[in-house]
Amino acid sequence: MKLELGKILIHDICFAEKSEIRDGVLYVSKEELEKIVMQEEGIQSVSFDIAKPGESVRITPVKDVIEPRVKVEGPGGIFPGMVAGVETVGSGKTYALKGMAVVTAGPIVGFQEGVIDMTGPGAEYTPFSKTLNLVMVCTPVPGLEAHDYESAVRLSGFRVAAALGELARELQPDETVVYECSDLKESFEKYPGLPRVAYVQMLQSQGLLHDTYVYGVDAKKILPTLLYPTEVMDGAIVSGNCVSACDKNPTYIHENNSVVEDLFAQHGKTLNFVGQIVTNENVYLADKERSSNQTAKLCRMLGLDGVIVSQEGFGNPDTDLIMNCKKIEAEGIKTVIITDEYAGRDGKSQSLADADVAADAVVTGGNANELVILPKLDKVIGTLAYINKIAGANAETLREDGSLAVELQVITGATNETGFGRLSAR
Amino acid sequence: MKQKNVIVTNNPLVSEKQPGNLPVEYLETDYMGVLKAARDKIHSGATLLTHPLYGSVKPGETPYRSLLIREGGNKVDLQSLRLIEAAMETCRKFEERTGLFGAGSVRDFQVVDLSLLMSALGDFHESRQTLSYK
Amino acid sequence: MGKIKVVHYINQFFAQIGGEEKADFPAQLRKGEVVGPGLALTQAFGDEAEITATIVCGDSYFNENIESATKQILDWVKEEAPDVFIAGPAFNAGRYGVACGTVADAVQSELNIPSVTSMYVENPGADMFKDKVYIVSTKNSAAGMRGAIKALAPLALKLAKGEKIGASCEEGYIPQNIRVNFFEKERGSRRAVDMLLKKLAGKPFTTEYPMPVFDRVAPNPAVKDLSKATIALVTSGGIVPKGNPDHIESSNASHFGEYDITGVMDLTAETYETAHGGYDPTYANQDADRVLPVDVLRDMEKEGVIGKLHHLYYATVGNGTAVASAKAFAEEIGRRLVADHVDAVILTST
Repeated sequence: MKLELGKILIHDICFAEKSEIRDGVLYVSKEELEKIVMQEEGIQSVSFDIAKPGESVRITPVKDVIEPRVKVEGPGGIFPGMVAGVETVGSGKTYALKGMAVVTAGPIVGFQEGVIDMTGPGAEYTPFSKTLNLVMVCTPVPGLEAHDYESAVRLSGFRVAAALGELARELQPDETVVYECSDLKESFEKYPGLPRVAYVQMLQSQGLLHDTYVYGVDAKKILPTLLYPTEVMDGAIVSGNCVSACDKNPTYIHENNSVVEDLFAQHGKTLNFVGQIVTNENVYLADKERSSNQTAKLCRMLGLDGVIVSQEGFGNPDTDLIMNCKKIEAEGIKTVIITDEYAGRDGKSQSLADADVAADAVVTGGNANELVILPKLDKVIGTLAYINKIAGANAETLREDGSLAVELQVITGATNETGFGRLSAR
Repeated sequence: MKQKNVIVTNNPLVSEKQPGNLPVEYLETDYMGVLKAARDKIHSGATLLTHPLYGSVKPGETPYRSLLIREGGNKVDLQSLRLIEAAMETCRKFEERTGLFGAGSVRDFQVVDLSLLMSALGDFHESRQTLSYK
Repeated sequence: MGKIKVVHYINQFFAQIGGEEKADFPAQLRKGEVVGPGLALTQAFGDEAEITATIVCGDSYFNENIESATKQILDWVKEEAPDVFIAGPAFNAGRYGVACGTVADAVQSELNIPSVTSMYVENPGADMFKDKVYIVSTKNSAAGMRGAIKALAPLALKLAKGEKIGASCEEGYIPQNIRVNFFEKERGSRRAVDMLLKKLAGKPFTTEYPMPVFDRVAPNPAVKDLSKATIALVTSGGIVPKGNPDHIESSNASHFGEYDITGVMDLTAETYETAHGGYDPTYANQDADRVLPVDVLRDMEKEGVIGKLHHLYYATVGNGTAVASAKAFAEEIGRRLVADHVDAVILTST
């Protein structure tokens, strides 16, 4: 499986009569995009705004972040099973609009969360302070159920991202990276001396506002399965997850999975990157046992020497993480896990809700309970009405000088558990 | 004693909808109260079927917990005990903020709680009677 | 702003007075003097700080006169009013490490002057004081002096200036069981790949989050002859003489009680009750023997099954009580039981 990823560097975004990309500038026609969004029955209105790195802008409540891409050659389309057919993706040629993202915002439920600050201390913690963000805030038709609202905003986001990606179809990429992974037999022959390594990605799959989709299939309904790591680059995994901003994986992070990227960087040099196993994080304890059993079984079948396991979310998934780690280690396969911590505001509490001695190699995305002060910013996209309700905020959240005292929990991507950021703790 | 599955909850919406037609034990209590009630049942032989820390809405935010348990065992299930104790420990480290959310949010919390439970039950409805996580 | 003022504490060995034979050297203030490792510290400070006084004290002298020596040292430090107080480094010298920890902790908590010390992680002083003062980690011998000073000097300056202290791995201090966030050089996924490669190659690697260690106690060998053994009763079930004379709290207990049961053959509803707030007290209050089985042990005493029942029992409430408190209670109760030559204990909970 070989995928050429062409990068179209976007230096600026502005609104215009006609949507197009010219000289690295993305021109966006609100009318065109509005038509796309209004295909969804549940959406009454949509507004668009632009937030640039360094601007005094706060975006909240953030639902998803998406990188626009387009499939130029090879089977299938971007976001298969969602807004494209279900052909297997991950080969041929794909273009990505780099340096920008589509951010969907709007309160799906009354306790919606997710903050992106484009400047100040908050900007240090979110990867999306460094992207040019096209923000779409969707208002639902009155009386729309939370399920339907979530689905409408989710699908609109993908449609808008796909439409923007489409603008790049005829362009020449600024740079191209080739990702190639062989099938098992070939790769074993090609790299006989290198340790065989796979990536086990745990997907949030607990239910409403906690879902992830693999080729359009609700992840809670899958048995653990095997992907070529290039498939996620075409949007094979997308987010329907709105809760726990700091450690959920927005679609952007699935498209740009950094474990996949960093394993590819070592592929053929220090290790043989065999593939990506996706598994879930269900609520039913029997599901956890079944999924971790199947994951460990797949690892054994692949003849692996080593595995990296990443997590998504808080609490319940700690148990999946520990089960996966224990069972994979029990197969004699060396395991490293990536998680984040809830050690309390003072950092003195037990960080995880589960533990085992087998988890002797842990990478952490930091303590999500740590308090940060976010100064008042000039402009808010979305609404602050929910800010004192969002996770980690409390009655004293909105302080007299307009600054916010919040836990890192509320910041989108702050303690990401795929190792997307540099934050850690000791 | 015959084994039976029961939902222990403080969510009135779960009590009303009775997902999976399962018997519901409704308790007028808080998040921690439900955990404690489940812990007490585990002490007398019940087994947890769903994870007590399900959902990313943190303790101290959502006031609701709905746990599926199997009653009627005759010994303490250590795995269940470990999970419920860890959940209580986790619950203690979060600040209590449930009071800050308006009436609209209360309904949202109920809906999300119910739907997470239904997701857990949904596809396993058939095998529910025989499924234990071991 | 003038130079930061530092007072430095060292032992007789590093003051070049002598080794073990001079360990009884009494505490001494040397105003305006820079001694031993103080020279290296001064060099590391550059123009930013200066040692205005050095306190020298023999390790035996300090440990045999902890209270008076600490008080004397506190008086001197108060007088000097430094911006930061440094003790050590003590490396693997046990009594020196304890002395450094004790004085650094006292200076910080009683004089409100930021303090820092330095020693090897296995020095007993490290475990005793790592939660109270910053302890810069060193090698296990004075050969690690250079590395120690390299971390100690900048941390001391930061403390003096009231700057934010980073995570243990950044600043070089021994972890304090407090999780502190910081930004790594590499992103997490890259760190995970590097860690995996090391693990695969069998090379040493450092986990970023050590799993909590659970205290597992290996059981003692069985009592050889019960008929000659003195057996004591200890409970976390809250059984106390009626009226709860020591006011043991119904949850999160702050202390335990010691009660004499000489001549008590049976606990009754009139004489004993439970202070525990975590279970239905009805049955314990009806008959406290249900939690603390004095009646059965008296029978066994009579029948000669056991030698005798110890005349004191110990009780606390286990309901929500912090592990650290429980540990402290257990240490003290254990000490008293050993002193009373008790052979075995029956520990009851609820």
